[in-house]
Amino acid sequence: MYPGPSTSQETQLSLEPESTRRKWLRLASTAGAGAVLFLLTGNRKLLHAESLEGDLGILTAALYLEHEAVAAYQAGAESKLLSPGVLKVAVSFQDDHKYHRDGISGVLKSLGVEPRGPENHYDFGRLRSEKDILRLARDRENGAVLAYGTLASNILTKAVLNFGANVLVDEVRHRTVLNAALSMPNY
Amino acid sequence: MFTQERIANAISRRQLLKVGGASAAIATFTAGSALPTEAEKYAGDVAILNVALGLEHQAIAAYDAGAQSKLLSPDQLKIALSFQNDHKRHREALTKYIRRFGGTPVEPKSNYDFGAIASAADVVKLAQRLEEGAEGAYLANAGKLENREILNAAVPILEDEVRHNTVFKQLLSMDVTQRLKY
Repeated sequence: MYPGPSTSQETQLSLEPESTRRKWLRLASTAGAGAVLFLLTGNRKLLHAESLEGDLGILTAALYLEHEAVAAYQAGAESKLLSPGVLKVAVSFQDDHKYHRDGISGVLKSLGVEPRGPENHYDFGRLRSEKDILRLARDRENGAVLAYGTLASNILTKAVLNFGANVLVDEVRHRTVLNAALSMPNY
Repeated sequence: MFTQERIANAISRRQLLKVGGASAAIATFTAGSALPTEAEKYAGDVAILNVALGLEHQAIAAYDAGAQSKLLSPDQLKIALSFQNDHKRHREALTKYIRRFGGTPVEPKSNYDFGAIASAADVVKLAQRLEEGAEGAYLANAGKLENREILNAAVPILEDEVRHNTVFKQLLSMDVTQRLKY
């Protein structure tokens, strides 16, 4: 269930709940469908993003992940279950995701695409302990690492690729810290 | 506090930037001939990979020095050997692509000066400094790679370097909430 850091990029992303998947399918109809469908299904054959339109699809999908991550950390912070030290790190990681979100939104706007906002509601399941929140965050970060890592080489625009690499570096750092907090392997 | 480390990192990045510039010149020079060969087309990538290979050789040697120092605890040694193994994988991958695109892989230096290693903390600090330098180098250059297959190979290497750097930062109680910016 929890692939280690050096697992193959073929690793499937955990599937989103059905309702969210439907939303993504709608999203896929307006943006680079291959990238969004890949994120949904983990099927690499659906990746044919060799165009600027493809980059737009990747950015749109990435923005979805960033909105979701910001919401997940928000849910964690509002749960009052986090110890002060963990809360401080969570807020910092959420800030990184806000930075990614704003950066991706800015790129989309500059390309004439109106970025989508967050969903009205995210179902993160029941959060009853600090560990539940750490696990939620870790799974989001892991999904983001796999997504960015796999999509990177499909990005054609250099500026987008550079930004994506910076985002990937943040996601790997977050996942490594969360792995350590959950006593999950980092080596 | 880490001025010396920062300078070391800056140097490795600067080397890569310089190589990037040279490769652009090569590309311009060869543009006048007929269709460029694969080797000509990706000469810039090969130059970047060769500097990266130099960093991998250096990292492997540093972990050897750390392991041979007998200063590491069993847990620290386990981490060091695991990370060294990653770097050996990186070395193999980089060598393969350099050869495939007509380059000559750089050899490791016969001697590396890692300074005085008198404690386990010295080893961990050295490793952290090298991993951060590698992270920065791969991050700064990923976007310069032209060949998609090479980029595909470089991305998991970048991920490994970030993981290594973060693990060591935590061991050294360093701040892990700072973003590397490029």
